[in-house]
Amino acid sequence: MCKKSIALALVSVLSCTGFSVKATELLNDQKTNDWYKQGEQVLTKKLAQKTTNKAKNVILFVGDGMGISTLTAARILQGQQAGELGEEGYLSFEKFPFSALVKTYNVDAQTPDSAGTMTAMMSGLKSDAGVLGVDENIERGNCASAKGSEVATLLELAEIRGLSTGIISTARITHATPAATYAKSADRNWEDISDMPAEAIEQGCQDIALQLVNFEQNLEQRYQDIDVDGIEVVFGGGRRHFLPKEAAFNSADAVSEIEGDRSDSLDLTAQWQTSYPEGKYIIDQAGFDALDTANTTQVLGLFNESHMQYEADRANDIAGEPSLTQMTSKAIDILDNNDKGYFLTVESGRIDHGHHAGSAYNALTDTIEFAKAVQAAIDSTNPDETLILVTADHSHVFTIAGYPKRGNPILGKVVSVGKTDPTLASDGMPYTTVGYTNGLGHHNLVGETDADKGYAEAVNIGRMDLTTIDSTDSGYHQEANIPLGSETHAGEDISLHAIGPGAHLVQGNIEQSVIFHVINKALGLTK
Amino acid sequence: MKNFKNTLITIATVCSLSACNNGENSATNKNGLSESELKTSVTNTWFAQGEKAITTAEANWQNVKDIADPKGKAKNIILFVGDGMGVSTLTAARILEGQGKGMLGEENRLSFETFPFSGFAKTYNVDAQTPDSAGTMTAMMSGVKTDAGVLGVDADILRGDCSSVAGNEMSTALELAEIAGKSTGVISTARITHATPAATYAKSAERNWEDVSDMPEAAITAGCEDIASQLVNFEANLEARNSGVDVDGIEVVFGGGRRHFLPKDAAFNSIDAASSVEGDRTDSRDLTAEWKTAYSDGMYIDDQASFDAINPETTTRVLGLFNESHMQYEADRANDVAGEPSLSEMTSKAINILDNNEKGFFLTVESGRIDHAHHAGNAYNALNDTIEFAKAVQTAIDNTNPEDTLIIVTADHSHVFTIAGYPKRGNPILGKVVGVGKSEASLAKDGMPYTTLGYTNGNGYQNLGSETNADATYSLANGAGRVDLTNVDTTTPGFHQEALVPLSSETHAGEDVAIFASGPGAHLVTGTNEQSLIFHIMNYAANLTASE
Repeated sequence: MCKKSIALALVSVLSCTGFSVKATELLNDQKTNDWYKQGEQVLTKKLAQKTTNKAKNVILFVGDGMGISTLTAARILQGQQAGELGEEGYLSFEKFPFSALVKTYNVDAQTPDSAGTMTAMMSGLKSDAGVLGVDENIERGNCASAKGSEVATLLELAEIRGLSTGIISTARITHATPAATYAKSADRNWEDISDMPAEAIEQGCQDIALQLVNFEQNLEQRYQDIDVDGIEVVFGGGRRHFLPKEAAFNSADAVSEIEGDRSDSLDLTAQWQTSYPEGKYIIDQAGFDALDTANTTQVLGLFNESHMQYEADRANDIAGEPSLTQMTSKAIDILDNNDKGYFLTVESGRIDHGHHAGSAYNALTDTIEFAKAVQAAIDSTNPDETLILVTADHSHVFTIAGYPKRGNPILGKVVSVGKTDPTLASDGMPYTTVGYTNGLGHHNLVGETDADKGYAEAVNIGRMDLTTIDSTDSGYHQEANIPLGSETHAGEDISLHAIGPGAHLVQGNIEQSVIFHVINKALGLTK
Repeated sequence: MKNFKNTLITIATVCSLSACNNGENSATNKNGLSESELKTSVTNTWFAQGEKAITTAEANWQNVKDIADPKGKAKNIILFVGDGMGVSTLTAARILEGQGKGMLGEENRLSFETFPFSGFAKTYNVDAQTPDSAGTMTAMMSGVKTDAGVLGVDADILRGDCSSVAGNEMSTALELAEIAGKSTGVISTARITHATPAATYAKSAERNWEDVSDMPEAAITAGCEDIASQLVNFEANLEARNSGVDVDGIEVVFGGGRRHFLPKDAAFNSIDAASSVEGDRTDSRDLTAEWKTAYSDGMYIDDQASFDAINPETTTRVLGLFNESHMQYEADRANDVAGEPSLSEMTSKAINILDNNEKGFFLTVESGRIDHAHHAGNAYNALNDTIEFAKAVQTAIDNTNPEDTLIIVTADHSHVFTIAGYPKRGNPILGKVVGVGKSEASLAKDGMPYTTLGYTNGNGYQNLGSETNADATYSLANGAGRVDLTNVDTTTPGFHQEALVPLSSETHAGEDVAIFASGPGAHLVTGTNEQSLIFHIMNYAANLTASE
């Protein structure tokens, strides 16, 4: 501040004007600096940000297990694959104007699972771990306790409102995240009838695959005087839960000798086709490519017996399957035929699986593909009428360690600022930048693009001499400290990124269930 | 959707827009659910809380619209920096704070987590993927990213090369605030010459040049000034650097690091001295005496008693150096030789002094020891200092007006600190993982329990019981790897978590950190940004440079 004596004299002329002129001159050096100019540009853009309230369409993207460390690492890998240093880039959705931190815990779990978290996002209330579309009064695994605990989901409310609806996942479409959009279940593992205890079947609980196929009639039975036409677009994996346990029902894309798991002889794909004679049931890339989006009214695409492939492993699929980006584009082109709008959820389910297997390579390359899918959505929609939300359900114990220099390969070993050789730990051995606190630990499956191959190996935790190992290889699995059959989720907050009408209500630090209310507000579904 | 495809053309030609909302062949059907049909939801506490969150968000945005242009609306700015306070640290500290209040914990919020707006900061330095505090605080204070290890200079600097400083100095928000006639303050629980606080006032090719004894001869000969000396000479240096500028210096300085201000001579020891010779300076200068000479109205203090004696209404200037080195961890504060104030107390006192200026103030508050506890692999102190940091923010909220004060809370970088496993709700955050529905600890494949909190690298496991000083680990052998924790109480202050990669100090982490904001211009804190944007938001909201 100005010297007290001067300040007193100048109070009446408002400010030490002469000195403030000097202040702008002070910044002359700064103002030619690119970082400084970039900051001023970003600020100008933020100041000009306009907001509107009512959305016609909403797309919710969920990167399963895509914590903040995953975003940063994937951003760097994406940039480095494009020949850049990496740190300066952005994943497509990181450029969205609005964001929040999201608290992910379930009602009964400090670190959550995907069932409880997606139920929070879809239904506006937190619930227990492991349950779908029901509130916390449920007792996990107890079919009888589901009755009266069912809650409506955004997808159901959108259907009732007359919007088109869609669900996409690279996991089995009966897996926790996609299932929370359409199913009510006391256990996320009841993917088909063979996964259910006899008692639950006797008490009348339906398996998750059956609930997907019976979605329209179940919804109409649950609420009076509604007439819905079912989910328009379903793309994902998990065919085994829809087919009878008989080799005769195997598809051309079958991996197992007997593809189907159902012990009740039901062929749900046939049942779906009967319900929707105009609908297209497809199982492979060719069937997918043949879809005419202008004339397709309903489509069920089950592209894999179990989960779809990791993006890096997709070329190895038997009959071929579409990428998350392709599925997203196609879904939007079908759903946007409805003048009333649509509600679409897109899950990248295998970011989570890459991490569980301790493979940063697959987790990050699937995150990059996820960001591309979001870009496809941006490119195919009008920001004035479409609210796009991008988030994760929970994080993983995945860290970016050491003091690597700028542009150091994110999958590589730590090489410090000004150095060319890897930094050595106290045990005299180099260490990787990315790593896990727990899990299956180190494996060096050179050239492998399927992270799950790690499960066939013995758990191998602790330190390894990585001196001659290429840790950037697709088959490299990072070290871990605590030996577990599967690397675990992590409990810290994850991020939410938003653009479009209502996006400005994404603010601060929120409970995950608030995401429902943001979407509900933008679409006006319950008022 | 409802029978839409088949009736689209008919509807389009037959009905007017307003009559079409239900479709013609579903006239008896409704397009929404009634409250009674949504009963399970609308009677649910989470659901009601979510609806309220939307109402609050709408009100927040209405406030933004009412303000229209926030330019210059922030008379005061307070920047809080939790050093090393990554997102996992926030979640764990929130749970610990809640559990300390008898809650389950996860539902709790740290004071600043209730701020209306938040965003993310990309922390990397120009030359480092995972950054250090010097480069990151320079980004926040000057609006430009720079190299790791340097203070108040741009990336054209060569770290450690004194001659490369000239011409590369950047102005800081604190300097601009001084020139704009605001009062200014710097608070840290670290040494006040440490990287984060130093980036507010110093220009240095090397963060480690805290006093002249830390500098190479060449740098001294070439005319570079050590950081402590730059603090004391701040006013003269700023005026010399910019002819025509007349400022009156920093009003409030609270922190540790007395050793860098005193001559290496036992005669200069304070009553709070921890070493036999407290001072480090090899140039015989007593900077505390120099400061008192320069500011005859100023109070120089070094302990709790003299801190308590400060009357904020009549104090115009204060230099408080409360420790020979860093101030104590909050949990260890009672063990200080002559006593020292908490971060909350310093924040409160500083605001009450600074707000005597009608033109407003600019204050930075660093919790420096969250970082130090993580480096020592001790979650207890990292979280406990984060809780104290949150209290300090609450103090700032309580002592300021949100209509004229922009408060930004952030971290400079993260740490490799994780919240693992599937612990049940309310499980002690410092405890071992106990699964949902279980009462016994979950066992790993090696048959041993594991803690929820852990580190990917560092000094590893130590079981120091009731020890409240995390730094005690540095005198012990590295304990990386797995340990049988069956009979170990992991919730004690002295427990140090396991680590995988053995390093003498646990490392920073490279992922984005959170930024929280309240007050005029706070809505500009949103989305994913370069860390240097923080300067621009403060500069705009307080209109630090545009009053010509």
